[in-house]
Amino acid sequence: MKTKVLVLGANGYVGQAVIRALQASTWAQPVAGVRGASRLGDIESRKLDATDASALGNALKDVGAVVNCVAGSPAVMVAGAQALKQALAPLGAAAPRLVHFSSMAIYGGATGVVEESTPAGTGLGGYAEAKAQTETMLAGLPNVVMLRPGCIYGPSSPQWSERIALLLADRRIGDLGAAGDGCSNLVYIDDVVEAVLQSIQRADVGGCVFNLAMAQAPSWNDYFIAFARRLGKVPVARIGGRRLKVETKMLGPALKIMEIGAGRLRFDTRRLPPPIPPSLLRLWGQDIRLSSVQAQQRLSLAWTPLETGIGRTADAWRALAR
Amino acid sequence: MILDANTVPTGSTLQAEVCVVGAGAAGISLALSLQEAGIDVLLLESGGDQADARNQALYAGSVADERMHSPLDRYRERRFGGSTTIWGGRCMPYDALDFEPRVQIAHSGWPIGMDALHPYYEAANKLCEAGDFAYTAEEAFTTPRRPLIAGFKEDVFSTNTLERFSCPTDFGARYRQRLINGACRVVQHANVGAIELDETRRQVDHIQVRTLGGTAFTVRARRFVLAAGGLETVRLLLASPGASGLGVGNARDVVGRYYMCHLAGTIGTLSFTEPRSVYHGYEMSDEGIYCRRRLALRPQVQDRLGTGNFIARLHHPRITDPAHHTGILSLLYLAKAVIPYEYGKRLHGEEKMKGGQWLAHLRNVLIDAPATAVFLTHWLRHRTLAARKFPSVIVYPRRPRYSLDFHAEQEPNPASRVSLSDARDELGMRRLHVDWRYTERDVHTVKASLAALAQAMRDSGVGSFDYAPDEVEHEMTRYGAYGGHHIGTARMGNDPADSVVDADCRLHELDNLYVSGAAVFPTSSQANPTLTIVAMALRLGDHLKRFS
Repeated sequence: MKTKVLVLGANGYVGQAVIRALQASTWAQPVAGVRGASRLGDIESRKLDATDASALGNALKDVGAVVNCVAGSPAVMVAGAQALKQALAPLGAAAPRLVHFSSMAIYGGATGVVEESTPAGTGLGGYAEAKAQTETMLAGLPNVVMLRPGCIYGPSSPQWSERIALLLADRRIGDLGAAGDGCSNLVYIDDVVEAVLQSIQRADVGGCVFNLAMAQAPSWNDYFIAFARRLGKVPVARIGGRRLKVETKMLGPALKIMEIGAGRLRFDTRRLPPPIPPSLLRLWGQDIRLSSVQAQQRLSLAWTPLETGIGRTADAWRALAR
Repeated sequence: MILDANTVPTGSTLQAEVCVVGAGAAGISLALSLQEAGIDVLLLESGGDQADARNQALYAGSVADERMHSPLDRYRERRFGGSTTIWGGRCMPYDALDFEPRVQIAHSGWPIGMDALHPYYEAANKLCEAGDFAYTAEEAFTTPRRPLIAGFKEDVFSTNTLERFSCPTDFGARYRQRLINGACRVVQHANVGAIELDETRRQVDHIQVRTLGGTAFTVRARRFVLAAGGLETVRLLLASPGASGLGVGNARDVVGRYYMCHLAGTIGTLSFTEPRSVYHGYEMSDEGIYCRRRLALRPQVQDRLGTGNFIARLHHPRITDPAHHTGILSLLYLAKAVIPYEYGKRLHGEEKMKGGQWLAHLRNVLIDAPATAVFLTHWLRHRTLAARKFPSVIVYPRRPRYSLDFHAEQEPNPASRVSLSDARDELGMRRLHVDWRYTERDVHTVKASLAALAQAMRDSGVGSFDYAPDEVEHEMTRYGAYGGHHIGTARMGNDPADSVVDADCRLHELDNLYVSGAAVFPTSSQANPTLTIVAMALRLGDHLKRFS
């Protein structure tokens, strides 16, 4: 008898990957929790509003575990966590294992090596603040595992692969000098999925929090240069401080407005040149290094080497006609 | 953390595990390496973030022959980032032969081989922002590139080795934030004066620091590293009596001797029969680095001819003579006043311009205006405004004629010397006096190499190289010692009789004082020194990490 695992946010990038892995496993049967139509073919799906506690309660009845990868606006993420708490708390020790996706964003502007015991940053922005709130809400539950991934990359990862590839192809980023000296804290999608599977299966990790980032993650510059080379977008450009200012101060807002406008008109916004907001540029220069020793040891993770991860991502990018 | 020495109370003491003197290519690379290992580093820098004339004046000194050596406050910068604030960015490693003792080069041979340095070159290349550590065309490029000279026979000179170009990276600006993020303490406006030993006379006890603001304090550290450049390191060593009374590390009178620069010049005319057979410009590698091929005299030929190391590049005709009929070259000549001294010297020469010449240059500029406009647009876009700068003026001549730009090793010579003069700077420290010399062997290196090139051109049947053999010595010393490369003044060796530091860059005389920089290089190679300075600093960093 396979364990049913409910995946909330199953249509998202991580959610889809988790569903695929569960489907391929010998022990689990994925159940997709989706708000709208499922994009997952023949996977069992339950249409539910993840912010509705009673609907969630019903969906949870026959599952052995639930994975929360709901993305969306800060309000939706917080409401979703609230609903999960309401649905799971009454079950006490009998509650299924909850694997909750938080983010490295909760560390805010922290620098240096950051372990799971590092407190959340103060004065966080919308997304980070919401993630921190979800953690606080769910921390009291008896059977929860929190994952704080760094930047998740891999084939068709919208944020840290596709967006980066578009920017590299347009020579809008490359070697950024001091502005790209920050640690990328990259983690390959397969490793994130493996962390989820392990978190579901291991009884002894209940109540644990895990940073997820590859060991010796490259600097953003090194990532950009290596990725550009695998994509064949060479020679890699050196982008100076003046260009980056133009990007964040002038081009950034203009592209964002275009993106919002195109979204309203239901165009595929992924075809637009992505903006580089100031927060992104700040991240690329931030000297923060997630320590993921805990995940490595407790979840027995082996990190996909950068060359392998980038290679697969670049192959997938090239395979898609653009 | 970056501190201003003026805010350190007079009479106080700063403590550190390692104190590094000088925040240039060597000092910053070393500090980064040490702070990464969690070592408590204090990095002292005389200057601040900006150039400052009063501070720079502390560098002034005297030279024995003004035609042979540039003024001592030129080609080096007394400020955060050191002379990387003005360098040209040319990178290439030393060759394996540079480390070997060679019969033809007196005092040659290092106490370490290429194998000891090789592990650090990759990281050094990265710090210099020169991309991959790949210095042949075969290793560096993934797609076929144009040959330097099609049909050239490569048995005497190779054409596949590369020079790669840094941005050029100003180490101060580039690594400032990294130093701030790390545990290193940088102290700006801190001028090191006396180096004081403890009672054993084998250890530096403390060093004295003064500011132009009038404050003074001391620094105590377990280990000290002088990384102040090939000239200033000599000054720091000799300014204090040391155990012998003759200067720190100078019991055997070696400090400041064996002073080398490079022998460089532009000479002759290379004429090619097939115009399209030659490409002397830059190629860009995949990771975005400007690379350029060069003619390198093969090691076994050096041994056969009894020369030092030698390379050459195809160059535009000498710009002073308007006969080149090239607008941009004439414009460069006319723009003399706005080109920095360090670069203008070899472009323009010292000759006074005559009125007729001025008109001839102006005529070139006007007649060749379209080509000049194309050049200037490229220059503006890829040099002036670019974060990675197009490295140098490349002019594709109308006729397939070039001059030859050579860069040759200088033999170590104890009579070529840096010492203290009786003049003193604003802080009361004795100034430097430089007596740079070259040897008969140096002249032979250039003469024999040029003759070999002329022969190789003939043998290959690609054209000719014409030059006046009698003019070689004059041309190689036309502008004196090549500026900015200050090598060998605290050389590395096993024997204290002819070296200052040991294979670990530690002074023979003291247990806790080290030198980082080109001062420790026993020989000068054909290569520009910065990349090797950085590699050696990283190697020293690894050595110092062993004590913690």
